[in-house]
Amino acid sequence: MRHYENLVVVKPTLTAEEIQANIKVIEEIITSNGGEIATTDSMGMRKLAYPIDRNERGFYYVIYYTIASSAISEIERRFRINENLLRFITIKYDTNREIVAWKQLVQKAIKRAGSPTSTEAEAEVATNAAAEETTEAAAE
Amino acid sequence: MAERRKYKKRFCKYCEAKVDFMDYKDIGALRFSLSEKYKIMPRRLTGNCKRHQDMISTVIKRARAVALVPYTVTRKAVVTAPFENLR
Repeated sequence: MRHYENLVVVKPTLTAEEIQANIKVIEEIITSNGGEIATTDSMGMRKLAYPIDRNERGFYYVIYYTIASSAISEIERRFRINENLLRFITIKYDTNREIVAWKQLVQKAIKRAGSPTSTEAEAEVATNAAAEETTEAAAE
Repeated sequence: MAERRKYKKRFCKYCEAKVDFMDYKDIGALRFSLSEKYKIMPRRLTGNCKRHQDMISTVIKRARAVALVPYTVTRKAVVTAPFENLR
């Protein structure tokens, strides 16, 4: 069993229920191939950095899971067939260092999911912190 | 006698912060190694060490693939504040 992470970008033209249904299908693909989903993280609707198939926005969704490495090719094949996905990316966390980072990311995602009401406030704080960091870097 | 250095000695900011892992979803952290036109900054300008430069380049390429960071910014394809919807 190896540690993996999948980020999928779902089409923005779908309704909220259709997006949820699509995400359920994606999760089922992973679990039906013997994967264990550690946690999921919805990044929400975001503006894309460049238009993909004339779409300006996309629904970002991250899934952290462990699975045997042989099942990845099947999962990616199923993702490619799905027309509602604009993009997906599979990342393997291989070395000990990366696995530690994976666990931290999972913890963070669980925390964020645990307090859905404060996500917006957190996001604001995060942006402020990021802005401060960049200004500090510029000052240096 | 050895010649004096005429320029400031550069150091790797990631080494200083002891960064072991970079996350491609954390776009704010990538900003330092991107130029105005969203090219990856060369090592000779940022002072990054080889190890961290390799890390940042793979991370930026991942972020580009999933449209978190633009590939290029030209006069035709202007990105208006691409870091506005950070989280």
